[in-house]
Amino acid sequence: MTRFQLIAIRLLLLALVLTAWQVLPRNGIINPLLLPPFSDVLSTLWEILGRPQVHEAILVTSAEVIVAFVIAVPLGAAIGVLIAEHDYAGQIFKPLLFYVFSVPKSIFLPMFILIMGIGFQQKVAYAAFSTLFIVIMSATAAVESVRTDHVLVARSFGATRWQILTRVYVPSMMPILLETLRISMIFNFTGVMIAEMYASRTGLGYLIANWGENFQLPQLFAGVILLAVVAIAFNEAVRVLEHRVSAWRT
Amino acid sequence: MKRPAPATVRWLILAGLLVFWELFPRTGIIPELFMPPLSKVLAVLAKDWREYASELAVTLYEVACAMLIACGAGILAGALVGGVALLRSLLLPVFSSLYAVPLVILYPIFTAWFGIGSESKIIFAGVYGFFPVMLSTAAGIRTIDAQLLLAARSMGATLPQQIARVIIPASIPTVLTGLRLGGALTIIGVVVSEMLISSAGIGYLVTRYRTILDSAHVFGAIVVILLLSILFDTFARAVERRTLVWQTAGRRQKAGEVVQIAGSPAPAPV
Repeated sequence: MTRFQLIAIRLLLLALVLTAWQVLPRNGIINPLLLPPFSDVLSTLWEILGRPQVHEAILVTSAEVIVAFVIAVPLGAAIGVLIAEHDYAGQIFKPLLFYVFSVPKSIFLPMFILIMGIGFQQKVAYAAFSTLFIVIMSATAAVESVRTDHVLVARSFGATRWQILTRVYVPSMMPILLETLRISMIFNFTGVMIAEMYASRTGLGYLIANWGENFQLPQLFAGVILLAVVAIAFNEAVRVLEHRVSAWRT
Repeated sequence: MKRPAPATVRWLILAGLLVFWELFPRTGIIPELFMPPLSKVLAVLAKDWREYASELAVTLYEVACAMLIACGAGILAGALVGGVALLRSLLLPVFSSLYAVPLVILYPIFTAWFGIGSESKIIFAGVYGFFPVMLSTAAGIRTIDAQLLLAARSMGATLPQQIARVIIPASIPTVLTGLRLGGALTIIGVVVSEMLISSAGIGYLVTRYRTILDSAHVFGAIVVILLLSILFDTFARAVERRTLVWQTAGRRQKAGEVVQIAGSPAPAPV
């Protein structure tokens, strides 16, 4: 099976699903109120993309996602590197982090609302909080992926600390760092979505929750498709980059 | 001076957190609305335990149903995807791309389809837990030592025998890891969906008391959910450890490798 054939079959499957989505509700086999035909969803998507309310929601949501990302990633990376480089701190905090990691973060959402209300700050704070732990864990893994013999060789050839950092540490850690960026973006995006769906006055998550409650299914499906496409596109873009940077490893 | 053992420090940190939880609100450094003192939360739990218990029963019922769906469908689909080479190369990359989509945006669709009762929670949480179970089952079946299968086959084992005697025992550890992750996700899925839209369950309690600003009751429910998820995690890890003897049957692997093989990056983005 070549790569090309696989992609062709995947596209075929996608076309099948979309055709079923179009034909079944049209013929009334599935109630079109519950599953609006695909073409209706697409035209609704086009229509809502022209609404000022949706423009504002997109701006707010992207701002929240970006700010939370910019806070959580450097902070988490710094903590992670500290834990990985400091043996004693690692022994203390790693098991704790594992436990915190397995706890659902969403139950702390009410706490954030009680403290900060339901505005922009609360969304950013919650999303950063829910992203922080995965960044810490991945940063720790990234540091631990640096091979000690590489460092040893560099040091015995007289490399300075700065050279070891830029020539050994950074290239070794790069693939995991990129993967961290990708995964933390998934966590971050999910965090913003949950916070917006839970309690909010604007943002795409709020719109989706609202459309669902008002039984406006064409709008709801259009919103879900929009969000899914954006999420997948970002994910794939970073993944391509990841492959490129880790090519030398094998 | 000798440093204290890491475990001791951990317990001290935990104890310190509990003391702060009691002292900070009491002395007014943190307003009680933001965080009521620990003793008050425990008092609320002791007083209203009946209410918490009956809502917890609803949640547990939903979690049990969702786990049945997630595990049943997940193991079945994982076995298919892991066992059939064509399906694997066709679908695994698709699943790992779909992983980027925050599943919670599907919940409004489920409430529109199935109402705000238990059904929508069960299905949402079932879908939520399905993916890790499926991906690790697929990985578990793929990573079986080919030598074992070859040996069984050359001694004349039929396909059912191969499945019952080699494939299932050898993939159990990986599948159990998947069940732990999937189970944790179904708990999260049920609680989150109860918090969003519902009329019963422990997540509903959180939201109801939050809207009337009764912090002590909110934190009571949070404590109950925390205990539930920690209990489940401890239990699932204990089961995993007991079956660890099997790990010599398959290729030795760390949890990280399984995740990598499955093409699923990490658990629980909630």
